[in-house]
Amino acid sequence: MSTQAVPTLTSAADVLRHLKELVLQKDPEFFSLLREQTLATTNTADMLMLAALRKRAAQRGLVAPNQKSTRVAVLGGYTPHPLHELIGHLLAAGQPQNISWNAEFLLGDYDNYIAEIVEESGRLYEFRPEVILLFPSHRRCQYTGQWTDPREQQESAARTAAAQILDLCRTANARSGAEIILANFPLPARFDPGPYRARTLASDWNFRKFVNLELGLDAPSYVHICDVEFLSARRGTIRAWDARAWFETKQAYGRDLMLDVAREAAHLIATLRESPKKVVVLDLDNTLWGGVVGDDGLDGIEIGDTSPRGEAFKSFQQYLASLASRGVLLAVCSKNDHDKAAEPFEKHPEMALRMTDFAAFKANWQPKSENIRQIAQDLNLGLDSLVFVDDNPAEIEIVKQFVPEVATLLLSPDPSEYVAQLQDMHWFEPKTLTAEDLERAGQYRQEAQRQELLSSVTDMSAYLESLEMQAQIREFRSLDAPRISQLINKSNQFNLTTRRRTEAQVLSVIEDPSHFHFTVRLADRFGDYGLISVVIGKMEGEIAEIDTWLMSCRVLKRQVEEEVLNEIVRLARLRGATRIRGVYLPTAKNGMVKDHYPSLGFTPVPDAFELDAHSYQIRSTKIRILERPYDAN
Amino acid sequence: MTQIEVISRLQTIFDNLFMENVVLTPELSADDVEEWDSQTQINLEVAVENAFNISFRVGETQATKNVGEFADLIIRRMNGA
Repeated sequence: MSTQAVPTLTSAADVLRHLKELVLQKDPEFFSLLREQTLATTNTADMLMLAALRKRAAQRGLVAPNQKSTRVAVLGGYTPHPLHELIGHLLAAGQPQNISWNAEFLLGDYDNYIAEIVEESGRLYEFRPEVILLFPSHRRCQYTGQWTDPREQQESAARTAAAQILDLCRTANARSGAEIILANFPLPARFDPGPYRARTLASDWNFRKFVNLELGLDAPSYVHICDVEFLSARRGTIRAWDARAWFETKQAYGRDLMLDVAREAAHLIATLRESPKKVVVLDLDNTLWGGVVGDDGLDGIEIGDTSPRGEAFKSFQQYLASLASRGVLLAVCSKNDHDKAAEPFEKHPEMALRMTDFAAFKANWQPKSENIRQIAQDLNLGLDSLVFVDDNPAEIEIVKQFVPEVATLLLSPDPSEYVAQLQDMHWFEPKTLTAEDLERAGQYRQEAQRQELLSSVTDMSAYLESLEMQAQIREFRSLDAPRISQLINKSNQFNLTTRRRTEAQVLSVIEDPSHFHFTVRLADRFGDYGLISVVIGKMEGEIAEIDTWLMSCRVLKRQVEEEVLNEIVRLARLRGATRIRGVYLPTAKNGMVKDHYPSLGFTPVPDAFELDAHSYQIRSTKIRILERPYDAN
Repeated sequence: MTQIEVISRLQTIFDNLFMENVVLTPELSADDVEEWDSQTQINLEVAVENAFNISFRVGETQATKNVGEFADLIIRRMNGA
């Protein structure tokens, strides 16, 4: 036994004992300690103990508050147990920020996944899964011909292997509407056949890599790759496979990798309908450069290629710049005099970041928690879109306490680790990258320019006129479904009902004639906002109910609301509606639209607001409508 | 370590993993405990290997008929025999 293992084991046992007492006393503190311990545990055996403890707590009626629920089918060429127990536990107690998921599982039979997916009337589809986790068998992912077969023949076998797996995903999604999480293949660890493995696709090593590559590059947007190849390489391939566990109970992975895969799968499930973080708020001294600019002066700070430490800070800045080019916004929150703090960005030749790279810059002596709130407000973003990075534990603690919605990272004492620390936080993981994501940073900078114009123009109507706004209103098209679903799932503030829809559900709205639907794109002379509003209406007799109405907060007070209402009334009238009904479903985040319908002239009725479609006067605005849906032009 | 000592450490693991209260004796077998199925057995082996820092060899845990034999196997693996 290694000497280091003993103290952690004892303390894990102590925590376990304490947790048990909390269960016996039915103490709700149980969950925060369980979460803490679950996030800290890196050992599969300990994690299974925690999972058992949580089950015991549930037996005694102790369940996490505000649990969300989901239905998960686990299929594949392996025994799903105990992988699914780990996933279930990590969903319930291993997610950040008090999110807890109660997953109901359907476990496929060992190596029966093809039949389970292909058979139309089996228990898989009866279960109505929201998520299907698929672990295809590595035994169907190998080249069965000769090493010396022509390369084209080997490639075609690998492409076929990948295509068959993606076909299964397509079938499963088409029949259930479920999002698919697809595990690719771990890399083999053994020396045989020697360096020749790199020269032929017939080796398991190359064949699996090729198939994995095909799976990832060809996967449709409802397939989310659980990248086991990556995880196995990260963990070490020798630990990825446990031959005894395979012979005895048909386990897919060695123990350590099993926990890695469970964590990744749980993370994927928990964030299916969540958008990545949008803003990194950064401290300055000893975060973006070494030293304290206020004391050491412009010449005294460590930044740039003249010293190893300076190089490490510069490399962190370069990584942040690369995040910015992916659409992540950068902001500064530092206890400094503004001019002193700005000086390195303006004058130091070695800095990789400049003032124009920041969407917000707060260098003052206010508490950081207040500055962070201000940054969120200035950028018109929810606090939970922000992350805060600082080298000072006291500042991290203040932010945790006073703005708990903001995720935090305490930097290590060694700046060479900064980049890796930030990279491992899972904060900026796009599900599907759209061109608009990449433009967003530019859009926020344009917003800042508009704010300046607004302060220079006092007459609102003249201001709106000066923007030269143009809008395109279009019915949903299946091509836009990924972008529409993305917007539906990430809009929180200006969202009347917060009804989430997957891409598949958006497609079914398009096909259902009782629905009408449109998107709005807006541009003005400063730039293109892209897709900024989504509306879904549903006809119920003579009433047109607004099922979904959401807008990007960046276009508030531009008369888009009025134009959207004009269009809803026009479409409802065409369908014979006499009344329009709007519903407001309050959430923690959509307080800003509480009075949305009354302010547009709707009158309250029980549980809703209504508007008389006949007497409504189409409102005139400063927006030029270039296109209307359903071929109205 | 004696069989009794091993069984007493096993008792803690059982207390952690099983929902029902299981009192271990050398004669107790999986058939006597409703919850002790093939799935719980996997969790149990993971926990035992971790706690005693041992590795079983393929097939040998299945060959043990009761807690006593299981404890003896653990002792053999601890002694590297």
